[in-house]
Amino acid sequence: MNGPMLVVKDLHKYFGRLEVLKGVSFEVARQEVVVIIGPSGGGKSTLLRCINRLEEPTSGQVYIDGQCITERHAPVCQIRRQVGMVFQLFNLFPHLTALENVTLAPMKVLGMPRGEAEELGRQLLAKVGLAAKVNNLPAQLSGGQQQRVAIARALAMRPKLMLFDEPTSALDPEMIGEVLAVMKDLAREGMTMLVVSHEMGFAREVADRIMFLEHGVILEEGPPEQVFGSPRHERTRSFLSKVL
Amino acid sequence: MRKAVALLLAVGLLLALAGCAQKAEQPAPAPAPAAQQPPPEPERPVVKVGTEAAYPPFEWVDEKTGELKGFDMDLIRAIAEEAGFKADIRNMAWDGLIPALLAKEIDIIISGMTITDERALAVTFSDPYFKSGQVIMSHKDAGIKGPDDLAGKNVSVQVNTTGQYAMEKLNEKFKGEGKKLVNIKKFKSTPDAINEVKVGGAVACVIDLPVAAEHMKANPGDPFVIGEPINVEYLGMAMRKEDTELHAKVNRALAALKASGKYDELYAQYFGK
Amino acid sequence: MSLDWQVVERYFPFLVGGAWLTLRLTVVTTALGTIIGLFAAIARLSRFKIFSWPAAAYVDFFRGTPLLAQIMLIHFGLPQLFGYKPNMVVDAIAALSINCGAYVTEIFRAGIQSIERGQTEAALSLGMTPAQAMRYVILPQAFRRVLPPLGNEFIAMLKDSSMVSIISMEELLFRGMISAGRSFRPFPIWITVSLLYLAMTLPFTRLVSWMEIKLKREHRPEGR
Repeated sequence: MNGPMLVVKDLHKYFGRLEVLKGVSFEVARQEVVVIIGPSGGGKSTLLRCINRLEEPTSGQVYIDGQCITERHAPVCQIRRQVGMVFQLFNLFPHLTALENVTLAPMKVLGMPRGEAEELGRQLLAKVGLAAKVNNLPAQLSGGQQQRVAIARALAMRPKLMLFDEPTSALDPEMIGEVLAVMKDLAREGMTMLVVSHEMGFAREVADRIMFLEHGVILEEGPPEQVFGSPRHERTRSFLSKVL
Repeated sequence: MRKAVALLLAVGLLLALAGCAQKAEQPAPAPAPAAQQPPPEPERPVVKVGTEAAYPPFEWVDEKTGELKGFDMDLIRAIAEEAGFKADIRNMAWDGLIPALLAKEIDIIISGMTITDERALAVTFSDPYFKSGQVIMSHKDAGIKGPDDLAGKNVSVQVNTTGQYAMEKLNEKFKGEGKKLVNIKKFKSTPDAINEVKVGGAVACVIDLPVAAEHMKANPGDPFVIGEPINVEYLGMAMRKEDTELHAKVNRALAALKASGKYDELYAQYFGK
Repeated sequence: MSLDWQVVERYFPFLVGGAWLTLRLTVVTTALGTIIGLFAAIARLSRFKIFSWPAAAYVDFFRGTPLLAQIMLIHFGLPQLFGYKPNMVVDAIAALSINCGAYVTEIFRAGIQSIERGQTEAALSLGMTPAQAMRYVILPQAFRRVLPPLGNEFIAMLKDSSMVSIISMEELLFRGMISAGRSFRPFPIWITVSLLYLAMTLPFTRLVSWMEIKLKREHRPEGR
């Protein structure tokens, strides 16, 4: 159990004739936190969605803990269980309470008994600071609270890898902090994370490695101090000058 | 699509409900027989005639021309000519005929209608113009020899016809005798009642003798047998009770046609001798 | 016009018997129609043509042809083609359910399609199969949204069920015709028939509008 948690090999993705990913390759080691930055439309979200095959890659391979998910007959659903995903727009199930959102997958997918699932659900909601909101419907929660429920929901499947797709960009500024705090805790506990974000402060503080993705290509990668401090690539420099 | 059907139904319902003059649906008026007469007599009064044209040989719609044909049709045209009015014939649902008459939407019904006491409470009938009777037309494999064999069986009839009433009467008799009752399946048209026997949903239908005979003539391959008439009935033309003048005219014309041999000519044309 | 209200007294039990059949027919056929429509809608939305194509053909045929023709086809046509004895109750229920199912298919299809794509993605990302995502995430939400149109379909069926009178089912409308034809008192009979229909449809129209109001309230988000 020593190989990398995630291996992406020469990933290409076309939407019609538009090539969104032009041969992306990288690895994420166990317990590593990688933050992908780059301009909008650069293919960041598409890359994340190809990793758990919500989007069908045109070519290339993705291995999760050594298991290939991109093969024709890969057990996609089983592999996805090991990969948690947090969406920009939360995508909570609006007809279920916070607790039910968290317990649904463990019960239906893993066959966990209700009691055990609820125990786990309460524990996870407490962990994201929402012990008091277990019985609230998503519509009764703020954006930041909803996103924290979404994180708890993903964690309930005990994933090996967490994908975050711009988890704070739909939030009002005063709610961003509470979500980032939860993510920092996760990183500290040793979760392997791949995060698409525009939160440069978070990236600098938490990331082990930064990748700069533009026009479907990884132009530059390295430790945060290097990418933020002395970017090698002209494009990286100009991007950072705009966002910092 | 379904709304359209519902709408049509609603129109029919309204018609029966209030009997208001219906303008939405204009059946093709039958060609006036008076057309051959060279000098068109000025202003012959129009008399509206209702029929349910699904009852050969009495009345049916010619599938090629859309014209209304049959013994009743020829007879009413002849009566109109004799009595000096124009017959404007309308094809309508059997069950809507008497309501339409009472609502003055039509003035005469000629539709193979049997003269019954029950109907005579609501309308007045012309002198009988045809002697008929109900027969049991059964599937030949069903082994029906007479009314008594119908106990406990499915029998199809046209709704509110003397065929239905005959079966209801039979059921009263069966009830007294402690027998199983006839399951009377009521259809909106006689052809549907006959079809029900054909597809096996009923062992027999009860219809007018001439209609049964005509069916066998037109469809000799059908596996039916026709029993003896179970009653004697007379057909008449129905009019509103207060229309005594029309009533008298029609009866006079009918008598004249019988006297002149014109009636026999028509009869022979449709029923042979 | 003479209004003989005694005639209502005489025919009332007969008409109520017809109304009872109308109600039973409607409940059974909308229940079956809902089940048919649910599966046909899922098939219609399938990526696989062997499912979506027959479902589309089914919807097109039964929405594009008159219910009366369908009833006649099932009761008189099919037995002649295949040589079996028809049963009017079975045929009436079959024709109405299949017809209702075609309309319900479109209701469900619209309901399912109205659920945001992100819901399916969230479910799949948790490791659910597409069927589980449909069952636990999409359908429960779609059901709420289609309740009002389903209620309207139920009301439409209650009225359309009168079409089976053509194959001698003595439901309310047919019994109205029999009574009116027998008594020659169309007004009191048809007003009674109409009121009986109204007594059955009114609770449902009220229920549907209540549901519509309630749903609107539920969907107003409070946070953010």
